[in-house]
Amino acid sequence: MKRSIAAVLTVLRKELTDALRDRRTLMTVLVSSVLLGPLVLLGVSALVASLESRAEQREIYVAGVEKAPTLQNFLERQTYTVKAPPADYEAQLRRSKFTDPVVVVPDDFESALARGDAPVVEVVSDSANQRSEAATARIERLLNAFGRERAVLNLALRGVAVQVLEPVRVDERDLANQQSRATRITGMLPYFVMMAVLYGALTAALDTTAGERERGSLEPLLMNPAERWAIVVGKWGAVACVSMLIAVLSSLSFLPGQWVLRSDTLAAMFQYGVGEALLFLAVLLPFAAALSAVLMAVAIRCKTFKEAQASATIVILVTSLLPLVNVFNLGGESPWHLWVPALAQNTLMTRVLKGEAFNLPQVLIPLAVCIVLTVVGVWFVSRMLRQAALK
Amino acid sequence: MIEVRGVARSFVAATSGKRASGARAGLGGLLGLGRKRGAERIVHAVRDVSFHAPGGHITGLLGPNGAGKTTTLRMLAGLITPEAGTLSVDGIDVVARPREVLARMGVLSDSRGLYPRLTARENIVYYAALHGMARDAADARAQELARMFDMTALLDRRTDGFSQGERMKTALARALVHDPANIVLDEPTNGLDVLATRALRESLRWLRTPEGGGKCIVFSTHIMQEVERLCDSVVVVADGRTVASGTVEELLARTGQSDFEEAFVRLAFAPPAAPAEAVPA
Repeated sequence: MKRSIAAVLTVLRKELTDALRDRRTLMTVLVSSVLLGPLVLLGVSALVASLESRAEQREIYVAGVEKAPTLQNFLERQTYTVKAPPADYEAQLRRSKFTDPVVVVPDDFESALARGDAPVVEVVSDSANQRSEAATARIERLLNAFGRERAVLNLALRGVAVQVLEPVRVDERDLANQQSRATRITGMLPYFVMMAVLYGALTAALDTTAGERERGSLEPLLMNPAERWAIVVGKWGAVACVSMLIAVLSSLSFLPGQWVLRSDTLAAMFQYGVGEALLFLAVLLPFAAALSAVLMAVAIRCKTFKEAQASATIVILVTSLLPLVNVFNLGGESPWHLWVPALAQNTLMTRVLKGEAFNLPQVLIPLAVCIVLTVVGVWFVSRMLRQAALK
Repeated sequence: MIEVRGVARSFVAATSGKRASGARAGLGGLLGLGRKRGAERIVHAVRDVSFHAPGGHITGLLGPNGAGKTTTLRMLAGLITPEAGTLSVDGIDVVARPREVLARMGVLSDSRGLYPRLTARENIVYYAALHGMARDAADARAQELARMFDMTALLDRRTDGFSQGERMKTALARALVHDPANIVLDEPTNGLDVLATRALRESLRWLRTPEGGGKCIVFSTHIMQEVERLCDSVVVVADGRTVASGTVEELLARTGQSDFEEAFVRLAFAPPAAPAEAVPA
C-alpha cells in the first residue's frame, strides 16, 4: 500500500510538471478563465450604467415637436427635455448608432386632438437594437400619462369623477430581494465559471490518456512494477489539480472584478465576497474532480489526441447545454436538477448569487453524484489501460 | 534467467467491411453493433514459443515480421496474458506475480515514447521513482547510464528535438534504471544508424560480462547480422512457433549452410509439412 501511494505521488508529480510545462495551452486557459469574470462584469455594468444615465438624463426625442405644443408642454412639465432627432434617425436606429426611441408626431396633431380624433403618435425603435428597446417602455408610459391627463381634463370639464377612469388600482409589490433581482443580470456567471473549469481539465485529461497512447509512452509505463490503479489515480489527481486551479482562479477573479463595476446599482446588487467565492469553490471542486475522471474515461478509448478531442466534444456539449435548463428557466427549479451534474452545480451557484442558503440534500446529492462519477471514471480508465497500451 | 515454455496467444481481428452488408447496414452497422456477428477472424499470433535464456548470455529472438516476437515479449512483460504455456523470470511466474517480475526485468518495448516536455534525466528518474528508488540513487543511476550510453550532454535537454538514436538511448537508459538482472529488448536497433547500432552492441556486450553485471539479455530482431555478431544463442521464431534454437554455428551445421542468412531462410520459411528437423543436413 505504501508503495502504491508513493507511485500515485510520483505519477501525480510528473503529470503536473508535464502539464505546467505546456505553457501555451496553460496560458490560454489561465488568461481566459481569469479575465473572464472581470470582462463579463465590465460588459454588464457598462450596459446597466448607460441605461441608468439615460433615465437620469430625462431626454426625449420627438420628430415634429413644433406641431404638438400641447405634448411639448406636458413633457416639459414632467421635467423632460424635448429634443429633435437627427434627420436619418431610422437608418441610425437600425445600425444601432442611435440608441433612443423617437416619438413621431403627425402634422395635424393639434387639430385632431382638439376634435377628439385620437391622433396616432408613433414610437419608433428597432427591437433588434436592445438599448433602444429598453427605453421604449419608459416613453410609452410617458405618452400614456399624457393621454390619461387629457382624458381626465375632458371628463372633469363634463363633471365626471376621475375614479371612473381607474376602476381598479394596481399596486406592484416585488418579493424578490435586491440580490435575487440581480441574478437576472449575473445569472450567466456560474455558466462561464463551469466552462472555464471544463476547458482547464480538457487538455490535461486528453494528454495523460490519448496523448500518452499517441506518443507510445503508455506501454513502457505499464512495464513498471506500479499498480495500474495507482498510475491512473496519479494521472487523475494531476488533471483534477489543474482543473481545480482554474476553478479557484476563476472564482476569485470576480472579487477584483467587482472593482470595475461602473454602476452603483449593480455593485449594490451583485454581492460577491470571499464567502460567496468559497461557496462557489465548494460546489466547483467536486465537479472539477468528476469532470477530469469523465474526460479521461472518454479519452482513454482514443488512439490519438485528435480523436480524443472529437470524442470529448460530447462531454463539452452536455456540460454546456445542461445548465441552459436553468438559464432559460424551464419549469423553474425542480428536485431532479440536483441529480444532474453541471445542472446541479449551476443551480447551486445561482443560489449563492441570490444569497439563498443551501439545505442538506442540496449539498449532499451533487457531491455524491460527483464522487460516483469520479470513482467510475477512474475505475474504467484502470480497466482499459492495459488494452489501450497495446493498440 | 528467463524461461518461456510453450506459450500461445490468439487475437480476434477486426473484420472491417463485413458489417456493412445486408440488413445490418443501418444504424447498428454504423455504430459497430453488427460487428460481432460478422465473420470473426482469429489470428494466432503465437502458437508455441519456448526458449531458455540464462544469465550472462545474450539470446537473440530471430524471426520475420509478424512471427510473434513482439507478442511473446509483451507476454513476458505481463501486458498480455498467455492462453497456454508458462513464462518465468528468475523462477518467478509472470502471470501469478507480474509486479515482482517487472521489478527484476528491464524492458525496451516496441513503442518507446518519451515525454517531450521532460528532460532526458526527468524521463529516466520518473521510471526510477516508479520502481521505488530514492531521488538521490535515481539521479546517480541516471548519470551512470548516461556515461554508459555516451549521452551525458543530452541529459538535461528536453527530449522534444531528440534524434532516433538519442531517443533510443534515453528509452534504454529508462528501461535499465533499476539495474535489472534481466534485460528484454524488442528490435532495439530499429531506426538506428551504424554508429548508434555499434554503440548499442558494445553496451550489451559489456552488460553481459561479469563487470557489467552478468545480465540475462534477450533481444528480438529480424536482422541476421546483429544476431551473428552479438548473440550467444539464437531462437528462430516463425509463424508463432519456435522452429530452431542453438548457437549460430549449430544452426549453420544443422542446415548445412555456410551463410547464416541462407540458414535462417531455410529454418524460418520451411514448408509447414516439413518441420525444421526434416531439413536435410
